[in-house]
Amino acid sequence: MATTPLIRLSGVTKTYHLESGDFTALDNVSLEINEGDFVAIMGPSGSGKSTMMNQLGILDVPTSGELRIDGRNVADMTALERTHIRRDVIGYIFQKFYLIPLLSAYENVEYPLILKHKKRDESGRATAMLQAVGFDEAMSAHRPSQLSGGQQQRVAIARALVNDPKILLCDEPTGNLDRKTGLAIMDILCSLNKEGRTVILVTHDPKIAEYAERTIQLEDGRVISS
Amino acid sequence: MRDIFFDLSVRSVKLNFLRSLLASIGIVIGVVAISAMGMLGTNMQLSVKDQLSSDVNTIMITSDVVRTTSTAGVPVTQQGIDKSTLNDIRNGAGQNDVIPIHRTSTQFTIGSTDGRGSIYGLDPNDVPKFLTVQDGTIPKGGSDVLVGSTIASNFNMNIGSRIKIGPSTQTDRPTVRVAGILAARGMASDGVNTDNAIIAPDTWYTDTYGDKDVYDQVNVIMGDITKINDTEASIDDKVNRRTEVVRITDASSRLASISSTLGTITTFILAIGSISLVVAAVSIFNVMMMSVNERIQEIGILLSIGTEKGEVRKMFLYEAAILGAIGAAVGGVMTLVIGYSVVNAMIGSTAYFFRPESIIFVPEGMVIGMVVCIASGLYPAWRASNMDPIDALRSD
Repeated sequence: MATTPLIRLSGVTKTYHLESGDFTALDNVSLEINEGDFVAIMGPSGSGKSTMMNQLGILDVPTSGELRIDGRNVADMTALERTHIRRDVIGYIFQKFYLIPLLSAYENVEYPLILKHKKRDESGRATAMLQAVGFDEAMSAHRPSQLSGGQQQRVAIARALVNDPKILLCDEPTGNLDRKTGLAIMDILCSLNKEGRTVILVTHDPKIAEYAERTIQLEDGRVISS
Repeated sequence: MRDIFFDLSVRSVKLNFLRSLLASIGIVIGVVAISAMGMLGTNMQLSVKDQLSSDVNTIMITSDVVRTTSTAGVPVTQQGIDKSTLNDIRNGAGQNDVIPIHRTSTQFTIGSTDGRGSIYGLDPNDVPKFLTVQDGTIPKGGSDVLVGSTIASNFNMNIGSRIKIGPSTQTDRPTVRVAGILAARGMASDGVNTDNAIIAPDTWYTDTYGDKDVYDQVNVIMGDITKINDTEASIDDKVNRRTEVVRITDASSRLASISSTLGTITTFILAIGSISLVVAAVSIFNVMMMSVNERIQEIGILLSIGTEKGEVRKMFLYEAAILGAIGAAVGGVMTLVIGYSVVNAMIGSTAYFFRPESIIFVPEGMVIGMVVCIASGLYPAWRASNMDPIDALRSD
């Protein structure tokens, strides 16, 4: 019996209505990503990588076509349901880390747990996640501005994982890091994939893409290889 | 353990401490303005009510024809309340005390100092029924008079002082002697304001001004206040049966009228005070919009990782509420200090300041300040929660 793919795009098109005219960022894209896959999305600037990430992260909805996450059509969800999917099913890792500047490292990791359970974390999960990425208690009390780029990305990974999401979306996760730190981050992502997590990463770096089992090439909003 | 959205709001306020402080000062000024103004108006009302309510058992009857004053020795030509009408009033008043009153205003001279005030002509037997002599005795007739407390104090009068009645240009002015000084009455609701007046025996008054058996006012002092409306109706029936001869009012209706006027004044000064609160609201709105605009990327992060719109709204409303709470708390304390000083300076007494009707303006002002702050944060909070997370993340 065939399993249902975790993510399925069927003829997804995303068109932006600009003053200069309509611009199609994704053009009739169809693909499937299964649970446990490690997928790299590559392509030149303007090829539609970011638009694809926004679609997969359901920060946006397709203009036409169908996007299903975990079997559910994104277009049929309410705004609140999409918010809950972002909170519970998807973990985001951004190139610029995007930690909340007013919160400590610990609080940044605790934050998604608070969103989900509507109370402060008493389970110790936030601490455990930070320890898993190499943070001790003293480091956890620091604000993002007091951390190096590599440390911030580790906190971002801990934050992305704390609600045990099925999908890990990584947008250029090593883009703002030196090579050594970048490789360390990729090792963490590989081990997470080996534990069964679905990892989707956008990169323009072929060496980073080599970590993935599968590479999707985009050009002018279309999939040219998958 | 505190709500993380509240923590974020507190930290945002601390991060922009000076800006937040200035916005809160606006609320402080607004709360102080409306509370202190409200307290001032209420203290005025309470003060006047207390002064007037001592004479609520009195019916005042005045001629429906307006009388003009006369100079000493010149008879009054206009019609007042005549003897026949007075008898009708006595009949209508039944067992209650009826006090006919002559009144005019006059210039006078004490020593070499000129002054002006009212002069009343009263039957000496009526004086103890509603006036209190603080010093001296009630004159039984002749040219002995009583004087009010203000006039006595302003002109350094004692028992035995002499007063020349009439303008200083007049020759052969009559002279009276002070036999007693009245206790202060304040603003009396029975129309007999004696503090700045001379009270002469009715015989001396009519000998001097003419006007015998014609009265400017007749007061009826009720033995039983519950029958005041019946007595008014009875007098009205006796006197105004054919035509409107006299106007009948009582202290309670006068009190209601004055209270209504003071209420209007209080509302007006409250409205002036509330202008400062409107200015404060604009300031809070501005600060909140700045806070939203400075945190667009942070809002994008929050929304993209699964924060609900309501939670983002809550975060900004907490921030507005914190500014409001600081402003309201400081404003409440300052209202007690400033309000006390203003009431003392304007009314001359703080006897009513801590009465519930007055002190209630402090919590009311604080609540209004809070509500204004939160209302000012509504649109910025709504705007933040409805941002597109993609656009918000892209902003620098």
